[in-house]
Amino acid sequence: MSFTEWTIVGSPEFTGLANYQDMLSDQRFLTALKNTVRFVAFTVPALIVLSLLVAIFLNQARRGRALGRVAVFTPYVLMPTVVGVIWTWLLEKDFGLINVYLGKLGIPGPPWLVDPDYAMFGIIVTTVWWTVGFNTVLFLAGLQDIPEEYYEAAQIDGANRMQVFFLITIPLLSPTIFMVILLSIINSFQVFDQVYVMTSGGPGTATLTLVHYIYTTAFQFRKMGYGAAVASVLFAILITFALLQIRLYRRGVRGIDG
Amino acid sequence: MRLRIQWEQIVWYIILVVLLVSSLAPIVWMLSTSFKPEAQIGTTEIRWIPKTFTLENYQRVVDQFDIFGWLVNSIVVAVIATVLVLILDSLAGYALARMEFAGRNLMFILVISMLFVPIQITVVPLFLIFSKVNLTDTFPALILPIGANVTGVFIMRQFFMSIPSELEDAAYVDGAGAFRIWWSIVLPLARSASTAVAIVTFLSAWNSFFWPLIVTRTDAVRTLPVGIAQFMSTRPGQSMNAQAYGMSMAGAVFAAAPPIIFFYVLQRQFIRGITTTGLKG
Repeated sequence: MSFTEWTIVGSPEFTGLANYQDMLSDQRFLTALKNTVRFVAFTVPALIVLSLLVAIFLNQARRGRALGRVAVFTPYVLMPTVVGVIWTWLLEKDFGLINVYLGKLGIPGPPWLVDPDYAMFGIIVTTVWWTVGFNTVLFLAGLQDIPEEYYEAAQIDGANRMQVFFLITIPLLSPTIFMVILLSIINSFQVFDQVYVMTSGGPGTATLTLVHYIYTTAFQFRKMGYGAAVASVLFAILITFALLQIRLYRRGVRGIDG
Repeated sequence: MRLRIQWEQIVWYIILVVLLVSSLAPIVWMLSTSFKPEAQIGTTEIRWIPKTFTLENYQRVVDQFDIFGWLVNSIVVAVIATVLVLILDSLAGYALARMEFAGRNLMFILVISMLFVPIQITVVPLFLIFSKVNLTDTFPALILPIGANVTGVFIMRQFFMSIPSELEDAAYVDGAGAFRIWWSIVLPLARSASTAVAIVTFLSAWNSFFWPLIVTRTDAVRTLPVGIAQFMSTRPGQSMNAQAYGMSMAGAVFAAAPPIIFFYVLQRQFIRGITTTGLKG
C-alpha cells in the first residue's frame, strides 16, 4: 500500500517508490522524524534513571513503602488524554500551577506549550510523570528476583553500599534494565495521545511526531498511500529495536518446540 | 550509630514525601480545580482547597457533552473486548501449547512477530478494511482490533507450557474431549494468568485513543478518551482562556475516577498483570 497513491475514494494507483522518494524532500516528515527522535532521546534516559532510583528506594523494607509504590504507579492508570488535559492546565503560561510556583521563587516561567522552544519539553515532562510508575513496577519485580543470599554474602565481606549497588544490584538487574530500555524506546517512538491533546503538533511543527504525521496525512489529508509509507518507516525503526528485544528475550522463552 | 540510623530514617521520609507529592499533586490539583468557580481559577493565588465549592463545572460538562454516553461506550467496548480476548487467547494459547497440528510452529512465530506491530503501524490498511465493509463508526470497529491482540495468546501459551500435563492426560483417559479439558481443567488452573491478561486488556482498551479517534465520528460510539480530547482541541496549540479549565478538569475527573478506584481495589492483581505482560510480552 505504501507503494501507491491513494485517496480514500477511487482505487490505488501504483507509483513504485515515489512515496519514499517524496519523503526525503518532505520537510514536515523530516521534522516529525527529528522531533520523535528528540522525544525518545530525552524521555528514555530520564525514565530509566528516575524509575531505577525510585525502584531501589522503594525496595527497602521501611515504613510507608507500600504507600509509595501505589502513589508512584497511580499516574499510569490514567488515560494519556486525561494526563494531557491535566498537564496542559499545570503548564498554562499565566495561571498554571508550575509557573505560579516558579514565579513565587522569582523564576519567570516559560510559556511552555505555546512556545516552540519549550513545547516539546512540556510534553516530555508530562510523559515522564505518566510513565515513571510503570517502569518502576518492572524494576521492582526485577529487584525482587535477586536472591537475598548475594546481599548477605556482600555484607559479610564488608562491602559498602556503593559497592553493593554497582557490583551486585546493577549486574544482576541488567537483563531487566535492557528490557525496560527497549520497551521504553519502542513506546516512546509511538508517542501521539499527549501530543494530540496538548499541542496538536504545534506550535507550528514544534511537536509534530511520526504517529501524528501518519494521522494527519492519512486521515486529515486523505493521502492513504503516503500515510502508509510513513508508517512503514516507523515500523522499520520499531522492528530494529524489537529484534534486539527478541534476542535478549530468547534466553527466557522456551524453545519453539517446547 | 544511633544518630546515623535516625538520619537515614529522616532522609527516607523526606524522599517518600517528595515522591508522594510529585506523583499525586497534579491529580489533587485537577480535583481541586474542578470544584472551583470561574473566579477562583484564573488567578495566581494558589488554593489547594477551594474557597467555595461548586458543581457548576460538572453541570456544564454534562449539559454540553454526552459524557455519560461516552462512559457507557467505553465500558461496553472494554468489557466486551476483555471477555473476547480471554476466550480467544486462552483457546489459542492452549492449542499452541498442547495440540499437535501442521503449521503450529509457523503460527507461533506469526504470533510472536505480531507482538511488535502496534496499531499505529497497521492503522491505514485497518481503516480501509473497516470502511470497505461499512463498519467504521461502529462498536465492532472499536472492539475487533483489540480482540485480535496477540500479547494474551503469548502469555497464555507460556503459562500452559509451564503447567504439567498429567491432569489433562488423566481427563483424556477418562474420555473428556479437548474442549471439555480446556473448559473444566485448564481454565480453572489458569486463573492468575487470565487475571493478568484481563486487567491489561481492560486497561489498554479503556485508555486506547489513536484508533477510536480515527474510527469514530459520532457520539453514539465515541469513547471517553476521544470525548475528553475534545475539551482541548477547540483551539489546538493555543492557550485557552484559563477559566475554561474548570470544565476540562471536571471532565478529566470523570474519566480518571473509574481506573483509579479500580486500581486501588485490585492493586495486587494490577501490579502482577503489569509485570507479567510488561516483561514477558
